[in-house]
Amino acid sequence: MTGWRGRLLSVDLSRQRIWMEDLPADLLHSYLGGRGLGVRLMRDHYRTDPFAPEVPLFFSVGPLCGTLVPTSSRLSVVSRSPLTGAIHDSSCGGSFAWHLKAAGYDVVKITGVSPEPVVLAIFGNKVEIKPVKHLWGAGVAKTVAALNPAGGAAIIGPAGENLVLYANIVTGEGNSAGRGGLGAVMGAKRLKAVLVDGERAVSVADPVGLQRGINDVMRLLNASPVIFGNLGFSEFGTAALIDLLTQRRMVPTKNFRETHFAAASRYAAPALRRLYAPKKQGCHDCPIACKKALRGRQRLPEHGSLSHFGALLGISDPASVVQSGQICNDLGLDTLSAAVSIAALSEARGEFPSGEQLPDLLRLIAHRQGEGDLLAQGAQRMTAELGCPQLAMTVKGLELPAYDPRGAYGMALAYATSNRGGCHLRAYPSAHEILRKPVATDRFDFAGKAWMNIVAENTNAAVDSLVACRFTLMAAGLEEYATLLSAATGADYTAARLTTIGERIWLTERYYNQMNGFSSNDETLPERFFSEDGSSGDGLSVPAIDRKRFFEERQRYYRLRKLDERGQLRQDYLDTQP
Amino acid sequence: MIRQLEKFFDKIRRDGSCRHDRAALLVRDDQLLKAGPEDFCEVGQDLLQQLNIVALAIGEPQIPFHHLWLPRLALDDKQIVPLDTETRTFLHDIPLVRQRGGHIDTAEVAEQLGRRKGVLVEGLGIIAGGPATVEQAYVNFSTVCHALFIGYLLQLARGILQPVELRQLRPLLNRLCRPISVKVEDLLIGPFVDPGVARKAIQQAGHRTVDLHLVDSFFGNVSCHINQQILISQTGASLDDLVGCIDAVADDNSCTAGLTASSELPAHRAIYETNDAAVILHGHPKFTVLMSLFCDNQDCAVLDCWKECPHIRYLGDVPIVAGEVGAGGIATTLPPVMMNGIAVVYGHGVFAAGSTDFRQPLRALIELENWCRNEYLRRLDQRIIL
Repeated sequence: MTGWRGRLLSVDLSRQRIWMEDLPADLLHSYLGGRGLGVRLMRDHYRTDPFAPEVPLFFSVGPLCGTLVPTSSRLSVVSRSPLTGAIHDSSCGGSFAWHLKAAGYDVVKITGVSPEPVVLAIFGNKVEIKPVKHLWGAGVAKTVAALNPAGGAAIIGPAGENLVLYANIVTGEGNSAGRGGLGAVMGAKRLKAVLVDGERAVSVADPVGLQRGINDVMRLLNASPVIFGNLGFSEFGTAALIDLLTQRRMVPTKNFRETHFAAASRYAAPALRRLYAPKKQGCHDCPIACKKALRGRQRLPEHGSLSHFGALLGISDPASVVQSGQICNDLGLDTLSAAVSIAALSEARGEFPSGEQLPDLLRLIAHRQGEGDLLAQGAQRMTAELGCPQLAMTVKGLELPAYDPRGAYGMALAYATSNRGGCHLRAYPSAHEILRKPVATDRFDFAGKAWMNIVAENTNAAVDSLVACRFTLMAAGLEEYATLLSAATGADYTAARLTTIGERIWLTERYYNQMNGFSSNDETLPERFFSEDGSSGDGLSVPAIDRKRFFEERQRYYRLRKLDERGQLRQDYLDTQP
Repeated sequence: MIRQLEKFFDKIRRDGSCRHDRAALLVRDDQLLKAGPEDFCEVGQDLLQQLNIVALAIGEPQIPFHHLWLPRLALDDKQIVPLDTETRTFLHDIPLVRQRGGHIDTAEVAEQLGRRKGVLVEGLGIIAGGPATVEQAYVNFSTVCHALFIGYLLQLARGILQPVELRQLRPLLNRLCRPISVKVEDLLIGPFVDPGVARKAIQQAGHRTVDLHLVDSFFGNVSCHINQQILISQTGASLDDLVGCIDAVADDNSCTAGLTASSELPAHRAIYETNDAAVILHGHPKFTVLMSLFCDNQDCAVLDCWKECPHIRYLGDVPIVAGEVGAGGIATTLPPVMMNGIAVVYGHGVFAAGSTDFRQPLRALIELENWCRNEYLRRLDQRIIL
């Protein structure tokens, strides 16, 4: 088999059993890998409680991983989210995926609960479960230092161990599999880390065609201002978005009460460059190198973390903003959910924390102590408990990221229809509404956004299953990736075929959610966005979202997706899919 | 969606890329929206039912490649690969769909549109898809037209047609090669000290290049260096619609709000840093791009001419250099040859700089394109082209 390995490694931590299974070729061709394959493999478990022993946690790579295709060394972690109850996947960089493929697997499936804290160590065909009681309670940095992984590592911090509902899994390099709390799923299994290494090269069907395709993608990446431009992600990291979104007046500020934070320039990319002089760092074999590294394992936080620990909480001190992101990474906490939960509590209490107070607050969350135990539930559960649900800036229970929907109506719709809740990455409308890729659209107009989101949701589901980095879509598209996939696997893929696969993955996720009780009632935005204006200024008006137009476009989305008026799929949908 | 349909249907009929009466645009919304000849709309409707895309542009190009070029290619030729930068960077190749038994097999067209942005269909013309927006269909259609135009005229000059056919085509070529009027004196006069005025000048210059049919709407960018910053058109912006689409990029990169600036920002910046320029106009005039592809050196060892050609060649007295779009590439190769304010990038387009305002670079750009049109006809007549 070229491209794929065709093998799944299954580990039952309850029974301490390890075995290998073949992955049927038709499943690989129909779901590709990464997110898609993980979602398909959840078919028998999508209703299982996320903390039940039998719920599987999948670490899944794609058919391009291990080749020289740019940005293809990414990992998908898939399970059911304890935060939202929805199906959840997390795409994650670093080198774990590359090492997993080199070990000879497309997927690792982990079930059961270990009687004591353990590490799963995979070195090719040699797979062991090792006790690591002494590391339970340790932060990610200390765990990495103690385990000293030769290959890839996926680790949880105290947040995952203590079942914080938005705990992340963090790689040895510091990349996070974030948002839905899969770190807590791992913690419930008492699995502190997965270590992986191997030496098997990946064979491809058409090496010449693959190299030609790689040259095409590199040419497009070089021509993309967002990637390799003077102000692009390679140069400044995603922090380059801080200034841009500030200028567009769509920065969530003070728990989304405002959309402009003038002091954001203090922690914007140029300021951080002056203060920290970071170095470029990338995921395995990535030419973009968007990470900005400091000394040791430390990195500068990404755009979302900077913005939410800055503007969202009204903090402008760059040292505090950077430190908050770094503390979260060590504790294994999702930065966005942590910040939104804190912002909601702050608004409820009428007082936002200072930069000095944040480190202790974050540690309390990770250890579920004092006020931290309340915050560890996430904004939706917490505000319900406090009797102020209107202050939770969430969709389907997932805290909203650092793009205010009043500044981009495609994003508003995308938050509502996202399969994993309030997430900017499912449809990523900022690509066209803000970054003008693949084409620019009017961000203050709903017209055409339902279709654009559908196209992007399908495209991104396919890309997450290859598994490639979303940033490449700022330059290349499915057309180029179909060529690469064909060369790697020897099968004939086209952009249209990849779109169909992406649609299948999206609808499968939606079906799982539907069967878990999600409906059109969950596909809306917090009331604030319909009734409170954003921060107009500099000749730019940022009104509240027109409720009528929002729901008209959402219904159009349902029609174009061939769903019923409540957004539901046919009951037999899964029966029609491979 | 209806607004988008009307806007781009008007553009596609006015921009000169295809016959005014033989262009159609179809858009999938709650209902199918369509404009154009019924026969094209029927084909388009059939295709949209088979494809997961939002829009289709169909048109019969000014030069009927679908009649003249496609039948001359070998039956096992599945695609055309024109040598221009648009093809090299964005299209990769243009699939060919031949008629079967006098009919167009829409299933095959759909299959090819599932692979590439646009196709050439025998007996019909060009069809291009818009996966997510109407604008994409228009841009893809324009790009395929541009690439085929250059590819075909290059082949033509190399002797693909018989003299009899060439004589039949000559009136059309004469029309396409008519000189562009040098209409520049009414543009805003520099030097610009007020950024607001500079923005207006950028919009005006961009619009003029399209109005004159010097470049197509999406094929170029414009900038002005003022007050330690570059005002430059945004990536993917239409030259004839730059209002609200101009970014300010500080010389010292002290703000990243210009992240959406044109992909050619590195080249513009490099020119400002090394030359006495206040404004830069960049476009892809067809005959200049076409003529830049002629090279007399038959024994050259360089295979990747777009990227690796180390030679400076000339169109008249205007230098041609190699270089890739965006990062690296032309930002390095262009500045050393910009001493006379104008240079051509192989297979790509022209950069023209002015020391005060856009009158000088626009004039230079027009004069070069007119020279290339004359030169093309002269070479065609003499058949001395390689």
